Amino acid sequence: MELRYELVCKRFGAADALIDLDLHAPDGCFLVMLGPSGCGKTTALRLLAGLDDPTSGRMFIGPRDVTPLQPRERDIAMVFQSYALYPHKTVAENIEYPLRIRRLTQTDRQERVAQVAKMLNIDAYLERYPRQLSGGQRQRVALARAIVRQPQAFLMDEPLSNLDAQLRFQMRAELKRLQKSLAVTTVYVTHDQLEAMTMADLIAVLSNGRLQQLATPAEIYARPANLFVASFCGSPPMNLLHGTVTNGHFQRAEGTFPIDNGPASELVLGFRPEHAQITMRGAPDSFAGEIYVVEPLGSETLVSVKVGADRVNVRVWSDFQGQIGDHCGVRPDASRTVLFEKDSGQLIKGSTSGSSKQPGTGGVRESA
Amino acid sequence: MKRRSRRALIYLALVAAQVFALFPFWWMITTSLKHQVEIFGGLEFLPQAPTLDNFAALFDRYNFGPFLANSLLVVAFSVAGSLLLGTPAAYALTKLPTESWLQRQALIVVLLVRMLPAILLVIPFYLVLANYGLLNTRLGLILVYTGLNTGFVIWLMQSFLAEIPRDIEEAALVDGDSRLSALRRIVLPLAAPGLAATAIFSVINIYNDFLIALTMTSTPDAQTIPVGVSTLIGKIQIQWGPMAAAGVVGALPIIVFALIVQRHFVRGLTLGAVK
Ligand SMILES: Nc1ncnc2c1ncn2[C@@H]1O[C@H](COP(=O)(O)OP(=O)(O)O)[C@@H](O)[C@H]1O
Ligand SMILES: [Mg+2]
Repeated sequence: MELRYELVCKRFGAADALIDLDLHAPDGCFLVMLGPSGCGKTTALRLLAGLDDPTSGRMFIGPRDVTPLQPRERDIAMVFQSYALYPHKTVAENIEYPLRIRRLTQTDRQERVAQVAKMLNIDAYLERYPRQLSGGQRQRVALARAIVRQPQAFLMDEPLSNLDAQLRFQMRAELKRLQKSLAVTTVYVTHDQLEAMTMADLIAVLSNGRLQQLATPAEIYARPANLFVASFCGSPPMNLLHGTVTNGHFQRAEGTFPIDNGPASELVLGFRPEHAQITMRGAPDSFAGEIYVVEPLGSETLVSVKVGADRVNVRVWSDFQGQIGDHCGVRPDASRTVLFEKDSGQLIKGSTSGSSKQPGTGGVRESA
Repeated sequence: MKRRSRRALIYLALVAAQVFALFPFWWMITTSLKHQVEIFGGLEFLPQAPTLDNFAALFDRYNFGPFLANSLLVVAFSVAGSLLLGTPAAYALTKLPTESWLQRQALIVVLLVRMLPAILLVIPFYLVLANYGLLNTRLGLILVYTGLNTGFVIWLMQSFLAEIPRDIEEAALVDGDSRLSALRRIVLPLAAPGLAATAIFSVINIYNDFLIALTMTSTPDAQTIPVGVSTLIGKIQIQWGPMAAAGVVGALPIIVFALIVQRHFVRGLTLGAVK
């Protein structure tokens, strides 16, 4: 089922938790709501689940306006951040609870529970109580309870945030596969941009209760709608250099860079770490800088360069030889840069091509 | 070594406390099994010629059967009634914003009734019951006890219910429960230790009450055990034997009840204590 928020606002006392949220997730879509803690993600999810009432606005599940409906009438399943398993019920009883409420026969219930438990590899623990399970197992039980029936939509509130890194990596892949095989529209809430980028069909970036951008991960990566999205998504995030525009050039004290005719005002030049090169100082279209730190990541190396008061990250091949303190230049890849208006923070010119992630070529070997 | 001697000391203290607590009980049981002569005869720790005469006399001569029945009936109905009234009220209070003005005021108002000494309430209650012809009836007692105990139930259950994570109840709502069925199938089972603790406190409070029962009743039609036992204190003589027997019989229902809910009760006490 497609999901839609229409101008949804939620106010707690004097504080706005959600402002004019307008969102549409097509049928079968994996929508990730991404934003820092406190930006209103959980609030948005609870509104859609019917656990809170919006201050204004409407929500739709498929063609139904669910705004006035009780949670149980909305036919959705939710995975809580705390998992919210029923502590006095066994794993099997937890999973079958939604079916029991729907008065399925015992054989039907047992069959569904067995099937789901097998799918999620928890069939060995069906007789245990939640307190006898590890975090990862509890997470699977919560997931099993959600998928045991075929709801109109899945809502998941940071389901992986309580797991260790290894398990998170593993569950990310499994969740994505699971969602694709079930083909049920899913709203997944996280503050982890990596989870969003890796799992989502669509990402909705939220900040301070406002939707910043709704787009595919590739689009968000290549053309973030504003400075907030640019600095929140990607690890390390997009490089942002402040400067002015004169005569078709972006200017800073450390150098200039040719751009399409932007408005003659103060701008921010953005580029991804892999869309720039380390050059010798003074090379054309580069900004003069000094290597701040070199971080080998194995397959590639991340070089942090101090450009004036700002820091810029550049991804280079792992045979990079520069040292801390070396003088160098940074030259963005002209076809991959984006420009933001300084005051509004909005994107002015989209980068011209997609977002292939190739480490930048050509590291300088000598210091200037 | 030091640790072991400390443990020994702790156990010694515990044993002393037990002796202190259990000795009166032991004395009551042995006294109930002694003949009149032996009771006044001296400090015997074991009855020399055990007899059940006191128990027989208690039921045959002193009418203990009706007292016992009245007590059990009145306690059962007023505890059930106050739990039934107080628990939903406590649940509703937990849905108010935590620590909000409204929640605090509501709890204080509820507590007010408990803070008044019973002796202050006896006369108004007497007049009300008299007005409705409920004096010296079990129904009258049940109504008074239920009213007095409901506030206590609200207070205790409010703190127990507030500790149940909101997520768990909401998970039930999303899974398809209505508020009421979530309350019945998820919230109340999780609050069972709290319910047990509340129930046992209520039972003891009501079962032990003397003042209200004494005032509101006048014949074995409605008199409860504490009032009944007091009739054994005559103008001239105190019937120690039957009185001890009454103590033993009267304590039995409480002991049985406590054993039944004990497991929940201990958990309930510590659950509440965390707050
Ligand atoms: N029940 C509530 N009462 C008051 N303020 C709330 C309540 N729930 C959330 N908020 C506020 O709304 C904002 C958004 O919260 P939330 O949706 O939980 O953020 P997120 O899930 O993105 O971390 C926060 O500033 C939070 O303090
Ligand atoms: Mg949250």
